[in-house]
Amino acid sequence: MNILFKNISKQYKGKYALKNFSSSLDNGVYGLLGANGAGKTTLINIFVGILKSDMGSIVVDGMDTREMGLDFLSHIGYMPQYPRFYKNFTVYDFLLYISTLKSIPSVLAEKRIKELLDIVNLRDAAHKKIGALSGGMRQRVGIAQAMLNDPDILILDEPTAGLDPQERIRFRNLITKFSGNRVVLLATHIVSDVEFIANQVILLKEGQLIKQDAPEVLMQEIEGKVWLVSANDKILNEKAPHLKISNMYRENQCIQLRVIDDHKPAENAVCVSPNLEDVFLYYNSEGEQW
Amino acid sequence: MVNLIKYELKKHFLKRSILIAILIFSVINFIKIHSIYQENSYIAESTSPIWHEVYWKLYDQFSGVITQEKIEELLSIYRPLEQKTADLTASTRTDDPNTYTGNVYSDYYLLTRYYVQPMEYAYMYQFAANDIVGTAQNNMIFYDEIGNKYKYRENQMIAKLFANRSITDLSYTEMYQYYLEYDFSSLLVLLICLYGLVGVFVSEKEADMDTLLLTTVSGGRKTVLAKIIASMLFIFVVCLWFWLLDFVGFSIIFGSLEGAALPIYTLKSFENACINLSMSQYAIVSAVIKTGGMMVLGEIFLLISSASKNAMLPFSANLVVTGIAILHKEIMEGSGYILAKIANPFILVANSELFRQTEFVNFLGIPVQSYVGALGLGILMGIVFLFLLLFTGRKNAIVKGKAGANNEL
Repeated sequence: MNILFKNISKQYKGKYALKNFSSSLDNGVYGLLGANGAGKTTLINIFVGILKSDMGSIVVDGMDTREMGLDFLSHIGYMPQYPRFYKNFTVYDFLLYISTLKSIPSVLAEKRIKELLDIVNLRDAAHKKIGALSGGMRQRVGIAQAMLNDPDILILDEPTAGLDPQERIRFRNLITKFSGNRVVLLATHIVSDVEFIANQVILLKEGQLIKQDAPEVLMQEIEGKVWLVSANDKILNEKAPHLKISNMYRENQCIQLRVIDDHKPAENAVCVSPNLEDVFLYYNSEGEQW
Repeated sequence: MVNLIKYELKKHFLKRSILIAILIFSVINFIKIHSIYQENSYIAESTSPIWHEVYWKLYDQFSGVITQEKIEELLSIYRPLEQKTADLTASTRTDDPNTYTGNVYSDYYLLTRYYVQPMEYAYMYQFAANDIVGTAQNNMIFYDEIGNKYKYRENQMIAKLFANRSITDLSYTEMYQYYLEYDFSSLLVLLICLYGLVGVFVSEKEADMDTLLLTTVSGGRKTVLAKIIASMLFIFVVCLWFWLLDFVGFSIIFGSLEGAALPIYTLKSFENACINLSMSQYAIVSAVIKTGGMMVLGEIFLLISSASKNAMLPFSANLVVTGIAILHKEIMEGSGYILAKIANPFILVANSELFRQTEFVNFLGIPVQSYVGALGLGILMGIVFLFLLLFTGRKNAIVKGKAGANNEL
């Protein structure tokens, strides 16, 4: 499966939410990374048809999605941001309902629901009301409903928002489980969500594509630009406003700063290996403000 | 589609709160019917046991086909009472063994209200109807002469409508008199529908399901259609329940179904009725029209709620709309502004006003009976609202085939 975004643009009140976005995706997990308001949800909403783009087109396996029409929807599985679903439905009933919406024959749907409930570890909660589920369990219902039609394209919008660390790890593993032979587009502003599972990272800033590559390549690109600087409070107060600080922690009487800079920021600075958070900050942040 | 409708019913209507509301309102409805009986019937068993007993004792004697013998027999009892009470000097004792009820005045009023006046009305009705036919025919000649085709047709219809009208039987009609003009249950149904329907579209937004639905094959227009059908089914079931409850309630509380086969104009308030139906037929027709009117109002509720993001605003807006509709209907009652009167779909819900009088609206030079006009307008509104619901909602841009199509680079 290949997805081609061609010059997608969308404006709200004269301001670009997405500007000439072009990209090509093949099977694999794609982390759509950007700060709040970077255009991630806009891109996803245009992709699934919730929003109409002002310009551009999306081509799936050589065919424009507009020409595919309804048929395109049978190829996608979509999990929206902060889904609450229907409180008075049981998990099982809800999944049956979504199967109906996806025109999956009932016999096939029942089989598929059982499989998915096992995979997302919700078999015991199948007959619980959705209103009684925890946030993490509800997210798992969310991914299960997206997977009901065994889609070629799985689109997840901020799937781990509000989850505790254990649920987040569990959810990441689920995404990896579901990523075989399909395109998974995972929008998030939480870098660790994509760091371990994404084959490629798509970096968005103010509606524009900044970078798209494998995490290792992106990290390689800023090799030599991440520094560990030891400072005291006085130096910190003086220098901090001018530095991009990705992390800081106190060690004895000193403060260890992780600084992103094209040049060595201090005499005692030690060059360290970058991580994806550094990449994100390198392209996005204006630096830690005091 | 059937499955989608079932899920919509489950989502929005098979709720404990709605079932409890229906139950509570059913009890309130029953209490209201009982209070009507208590307040209005002079022959209620609980409040007037003697009149009740005497009325039903005389009923066998005077009910059924009105004959000269029955009239004379009734007058033979009534005339002496009339004379005795004329100068208000008759005995006021309440245990007079020579009376039916124990009191002369009481006998007089009972017979006047429940036998003499109804029999007189029934007997005289065909003459009154013939007078109307005669006048209408004279009018036809006049309007034909001056070339007023519209008025000619109007009088022609009146003459046809009132021709051969007569009331042949004397029957107990108190139950139908109140039952056929009872609108309180309509208000209860309206409130239940308002409560039930307000969430049909809004709840999808509140649960963030609106976007998810749009990304599924059947989540767009099919789901909207399923919502509309489920809503109409809900309205139908609630209406059916309350209309049956009304009938059962009136039958049980008033204790009689007598008079069902008599023409609707047997009731004095329907003297100039615009239809020639029996009371039972009218009850069915009225219930069907009420249900239709409720469906049109239901569509308005759905339209308003489909444009909102949370339930509170449309609930308030729908309440205001309901209030305006009721107020408009009350103001227009008895008014000569027929078109303004029938343009309100609530007139279909509380529809006795439409059938009590014979009124016409001018439709392209053709006189149309007001109830036909109201029905036509109701159907038209229903279709327009249905299309608005189906075609104005949010759609998937890809399915519509217009996602960025105009500006593709």
